Amino acid sequence: MDFLRKSLLFVSFLCFVVILNAQDEKADRLIGVWEPSSGKAKVKIDKIGGKYYGKIVWLREPLDPETQKPKVDKNNPDENMRSTPLRGYRMLKDFEYTDKDEWTEGTIYDPENGSTYNCIIKMTDANTLDIRGYIGVTALGRTDVWKRLKLPPRKKK
Amino acid sequence: MRNVSKLILLFLVCITYNSILAQTDTASTQDEEDYSIYDNLEFADESAKRFASIKLTGKSPDKLISIGYDYQGGYDLNAGAFSIYPEEEARVTATHGTRVEANIPVISKNSIIIQAGLSYWDVNYDFKDKATLLNPLNQRLADKGLNTINFSTTVYKPLNETTFIIGQVSVGISGDYAMDELQSSKYNRYSGAILWGKRPSDYMQWAIGLSRSYRAGELNYFPLLMYNWTSYDRKWGIESLLPARGDVRYSFNPRSLLFFGFDLEGTSYRIGNDGKALDAPYNDLEIRRCELRFRFKYEKQLSGFIWVSAKVGYRYDYLFYVDQVNNGEEFFRGFFGDQEYAMENKLTNPLFFNFSINLVSP
Repeated sequence: MDFLRKSLLFVSFLCFVVILNAQDEKADRLIGVWEPSSGKAKVKIDKIGGKYYGKIVWLREPLDPETQKPKVDKNNPDENMRSTPLRGYRMLKDFEYTDKDEWTEGTIYDPENGSTYNCIIKMTDANTLDIRGYIGVTALGRTDVWKRLKLPPRKKK
Repeated sequence: MRNVSKLILLFLVCITYNSILAQTDTASTQDEEDYSIYDNLEFADESAKRFASIKLTGKSPDKLISIGYDYQGGYDLNAGAFSIYPEEEARVTATHGTRVEANIPVISKNSIIIQAGLSYWDVNYDFKDKATLLNPLNQRLADKGLNTINFSTTVYKPLNETTFIIGQVSVGISGDYAMDELQSSKYNRYSGAILWGKRPSDYMQWAIGLSRSYRAGELNYFPLLMYNWTSYDRKWGIESLLPARGDVRYSFNPRSLLFFGFDLEGTSYRIGNDGKALDAPYNDLEIRRCELRFRFKYEKQLSGFIWVSAKVGYRYDYLFYVDQVNNGEEFFRGFFGDQEYAMENKLTNPLFFNFSINLVSP
């Protein structure tokens, strides 16, 4: 009887761990490289410390046409950030997964005008994200559709 | 029991180690990122397409909600002879009113954007010596002013990476009605526009098209030319949709913009006669109002998504004639029609200013 109780406890624990892992797998579908609708950039989304972050890894126009130097975040309202290179810049921050194919609680930064917006990410299919930047309430916003890009296989070191 | 505990412990260690390993891996790739691997990536979904974006580098932000106030200084209004009433010259000390506008994206995808718009403008006329006015046009403007409500739907449809179509339909309810007693829908005025265009780069888009519009005060058909451009250094730009508006833009920075240009504003306002203030059969009169406004405009981010806009300039009276429109049935005069107007009125031209506070789109 004692053995049965212990076994049940172990199986329950095992189930709990499996469910947690399955949830993680669903959430991690966001990880990858994505292209916003404008095609001006590519954004790589990673998971760091249980939250999701996206950084710019490619720019269609990598050099500033004025200076012919790599583009920096010159429109940032914070003067200290204006020399930060745009490539490598984290424009998506602090997203957490909910169980509705949505990642919430995060923000999106638009380097074109230096504004940061509240943001909800919704995965409409495995290769498509609806990125809704909004102001206060979701009705006051704009949705941009991002498409997943295929990464080449990693080279062996 | 000890075996089960060991197993659980082992499991926990494995999971924790895996998590730490995953995080460490993600963090380390940031530092050693080889960005060249992202140069030539294709869509994971091979059927996915790229479309021309509606956004243009350096262009002023779209306004989701705008609340403003418009004020014209004093001018003379010469109301033409009408029925038994003779011509009358009156002094308008000010024309002013609120302007509320909203443009909300209803559908926003790469392949199509649909936007719903609503605007409300009221125009109040302050006359000098109001009690002495005799001409019914002057009396009506002094007593009731003019209102306009406009509903619109705009569709932006990109066809591929560089080509797009824009369509817009709208209905205007304009007249001297009170807001709690709207006029009959037979006086609604319908407008539409269609444009075909190209977006060869992130710095330029242009389009040509045709519109059916009351912007010149009365029904007319206009060719349209849209041209938006930003210089590479983003300091200068052009934002235009001719003949409705045109601007040269100078950017102090993306949050502070100065414009010089013009707006062509107008519509057809029905003057009601339900109270029989005018003599029969003048229940179907419409003021064909059109103004050309040359102005400076300054737009600035106040805080976050709140922007302010201030305009100052010169208002030129293009048309302020009155037509009789039997039973609300519109007719087309165009540029060359010879139908006579019921009243021919003239306005001198004052300075104006306009101030608005705006919630801008992400």
